[in-house]
Amino acid sequence: MLVGSLRKELADSVSSCRVLVVGAGGIGCELLKNLVLTGFKNIEVIDLDTIDVSNLNRQFLFQKKHVGKSKAQVAKESVLQFCPEANITAYHDSIMNPDYNVEFFKNFMLVMNALDNRAARNHVNRMCLAANIPLIESGTAGYLGQVTVIKKGLTECYECQPKPTQKTFPGCTIRNTPSEPIHCIVWAKYLYNQLFGEEDADQEVSPDTADPEASCESIICSVCRWLFYLCSQSMGSNDFDKRLRAILTAARAGASNQDGDIKRVSTKDWARSTGYDPVKIFNKLFKDDIMYLLTMDKLWKKRKAPQPLDWAVVQEMAYIQEEVSGQGLRDQQVLGVKGYAQLFCNSVETLRSQLAEKGEGAQLVWDKDDPPAMDFVTAAANLRMHVFSMNMKSRFDVKSMAGNIIPAIATTNAVIAGLIVLEALKILSGDLEQCRTVFLNKQPNPRKKLLVPCALDPPNTNCYVCASKPEVTVKLNVHKTLVQSLQDKILKEKFGMVAPDVQIEDGKGTILISSEEGETDANNSKCLSEFGIRNGSRLQVDDFLQDYTLLVNLLHCEDLEKDVEFEVVGDAPDKAPPAPNVPEEDKNIANGNQDSALPSTSSKVPIEKDDVLIVDSDEEPSSSTMEAAVEMGGVKRKLEDVETGGAGSKRKRLFELPINDDDIIALD
Amino acid sequence: MLDTVEKEDTVISEEEAAQYDRQIRLWGLDAQKRLRGSHVLLVGLRGLGAEVAKNLILAGVKGLTLLDHEEVTEESCRAQFLIPVGSEGQNRAQASLERAQYLNPMVDVKADTEPVESKPDEFFLQFDAVCLTGCPRDLMIRIDQICSQKNVKVFCGDVFGYHGYMFSNLGPEHHYVEEKLKAVKPSEGTSDGPDTKKPKVDPSETTMVKKTASFCSLKEALEIDWTSEKAKASLKRTPADYFLLQVLLKFRTDKGRDPQPSSFADDSTILRQIRDDVLEAQGLASDLIPDEFVSYCFSEMAPVCAVVGGVLGQEIVKALSQRDAPHRNFFFFDGLKGSGVVDYFATK
Repeated sequence: MLVGSLRKELADSVSSCRVLVVGAGGIGCELLKNLVLTGFKNIEVIDLDTIDVSNLNRQFLFQKKHVGKSKAQVAKESVLQFCPEANITAYHDSIMNPDYNVEFFKNFMLVMNALDNRAARNHVNRMCLAANIPLIESGTAGYLGQVTVIKKGLTECYECQPKPTQKTFPGCTIRNTPSEPIHCIVWAKYLYNQLFGEEDADQEVSPDTADPEASCESIICSVCRWLFYLCSQSMGSNDFDKRLRAILTAARAGASNQDGDIKRVSTKDWARSTGYDPVKIFNKLFKDDIMYLLTMDKLWKKRKAPQPLDWAVVQEMAYIQEEVSGQGLRDQQVLGVKGYAQLFCNSVETLRSQLAEKGEGAQLVWDKDDPPAMDFVTAAANLRMHVFSMNMKSRFDVKSMAGNIIPAIATTNAVIAGLIVLEALKILSGDLEQCRTVFLNKQPNPRKKLLVPCALDPPNTNCYVCASKPEVTVKLNVHKTLVQSLQDKILKEKFGMVAPDVQIEDGKGTILISSEEGETDANNSKCLSEFGIRNGSRLQVDDFLQDYTLLVNLLHCEDLEKDVEFEVVGDAPDKAPPAPNVPEEDKNIANGNQDSALPSTSSKVPIEKDDVLIVDSDEEPSSSTMEAAVEMGGVKRKLEDVETGGAGSKRKRLFELPINDDDIIALD
Repeated sequence: MLDTVEKEDTVISEEEAAQYDRQIRLWGLDAQKRLRGSHVLLVGLRGLGAEVAKNLILAGVKGLTLLDHEEVTEESCRAQFLIPVGSEGQNRAQASLERAQYLNPMVDVKADTEPVESKPDEFFLQFDAVCLTGCPRDLMIRIDQICSQKNVKVFCGDVFGYHGYMFSNLGPEHHYVEEKLKAVKPSEGTSDGPDTKKPKVDPSETTMVKKTASFCSLKEALEIDWTSEKAKASLKRTPADYFLLQVLLKFRTDKGRDPQPSSFADDSTILRQIRDDVLEAQGLASDLIPDEFVSYCFSEMAPVCAVVGGVLGQEIVKALSQRDAPHRNFFFFDGLKGSGVVDYFATK
């Protein structure tokens, strides 16, 4: 007995059950459509976002007139147009809001993620574990995609396999020795925050004299070397004087500042003192600071030295005549130095006004879709690239990297959303053992598969989330790590908690952090050692919303790498070996905050936001898919490469596990 | 005919640049321009047709003609998302038109209510690509022949329950480009960094490599003689879905419709009979398609339409934009297993 394509019992299940869709974007729109057409009647959808014009190439439930409105709300209205009997509840909200507690999740037979960030995925993973509800997880980026099923006790959870954390660059690379455009872009974003936004101690832009690579020689030697350099240039005595004075001031300041920052005033305060004068700012960043870097001559023994830019000199240059293109997009043009200097000046002035309008103590937040903010980063990054002898990039390319843009199309999302519903049907039929992880390739693999189903893995017994008594060990310096850092960088960012409560296992049950607002604020600026925490101390960390308890063992360590505040023992996703033929730049990259910056685009899509780590070697088909598995399925696993009995063993690794005999095919 | 010179000269407006931003970043501006100059004919507006329509309209083709002579029935209301409720009795293409147009006002979407069988040969030649869904086998073969003589790209696709396929014929010489990473040697002058001593691969240094692929006709692809020794040898690696397709196309030809749930019992019997006939005629064992297959090939399953429609849509985009290697020449999707296979069928 069939109802449409489905057996009667299944069709009944489908029309009566309640499901939750988390996300109403690329995958979400396609998924909602598939669900109602398949006969699902009771659907709840949640998304905190509003509609943007760049969504319209794939989020087909939205039209231009909806830009600015709630995605969840408009998606619901659109669906009701072709399926008015569907019972849809839309929430314009974050799934991490404590209103959506375990009880809320228990209302549903299953949950389907259509997310684009790891924090939310981690959170929903824990909520579904706590509620013991099946979760269908998925992701797409460019041409690639993936779907998998998570069921407590039966399969791996989303956090069973360590995921590669986003790459951060060492401070000295950003501040002193950039060698790639991405370093300059990260620097420019830091600069934006230092000048106009929230100043962050981890986002310094001025030269770092504490750079271990720099010489430790005395200031006198540096100055002498600099004088010699000046003499070897031909310049007027006025310039000579000015520069000498500048360099001595800088050197003196540097000598007296322990941390190696040459500024004693904050960048923002200094800028304010100049009235945000673009020319002064330009000369400080691209001339004076560069000249200072030049005195750290050890840095330039094996590297090409940066070349300072002087505003007045730049003004003498001609504008570069770009071939007038009807060919490329306007944003794809690469301006010359003078063009970017002008752009820098204009954007500083615009941002200055924006800041003034907001009033005293105002801060701007960087947004790739805010034109002056994007102009500023484009200009500043390019000027720095030029200073450091790199080919400059168009606004289009800078926006990709700075804005962490993941190319996206409708068809990939359509395929993945179709696969999600097929998995959902298996779950509702009670056929969990039929569930699979399915990968979507760009090209068929050697076994001719474009869509590759793989058996699900059992849970990791040592998983720090779904194991019965999860435990981790963290190395840090108890005298230097603040309670605030523990909360924000370790428990929230690293371990994905939303509202942690921390007790020290010291026999007294001392409360270190309370999730109740204000209760433990006084502790935040103290270091851990002040609470008697030392090597071997244990913390019991609870997130009651996620129904999650984690035991944290602490190891005191004084020789962590520079810029590294803590290390999780045993879990070293950063050490995952890079795929063959893949340049460093293609990895996930971050610059401190949630943001990541990405190098170029097209099919070599490294992701961040969409959490699908992909590297497309372009050499052979299908290598990319398997990398796509990394984010969803964890760090690159052992090869189960059934078919390469030797020939072509240099090839891509395959996650594909044969699931029945038909799949094992002998090669010619 | 793809007139490449004309297509590349078009200027992309600010509006298009903003809307197509995320896909231009994937397949490049040239590809987008070619799409923008392309006209496509889509035959059949059931579940699969609606998916393909959506995908092509969102991609930004110049024009899409929706052709379907059938009327909206009560069932078809729930079968696809372009037809609004209350459209019973209207023509399917006509009923789909408004919501299709809303997907992207920059595309010229038209509805044609005539039966495709009645169209003269020249009708097809005004398009750059033709996509046939829900068509009987002989009709597909005929249209494929008309089109491939004039370099009109041909695509076919159908969904039967949990199963679906797509076929493409891009002609004997389909030209396309692939983007490859370039390894940059250290050179004089500005490079991409001060570390000029090391050769590096700059991720944005890519080069376009030109390639060609050849395709056979649909007739040739479907009329393989499996009794030959060579064919038998490759059987082990051949997806059974190919033969399932033959069975379902025969059903469609014989009964003038696809298997329908309201006549499940009778249709199942007929299907099994056709299976026996088809396999026997080719000297193949009947267990190549086990009996249970009948339970899974009725009606169009929405998620299967989404998967096949996604792959098919993307193949059309690739062919029109002449970028990236096309799948050659069949794609089979098995919704029960979740496997999607690309394979080449031709009579050599």
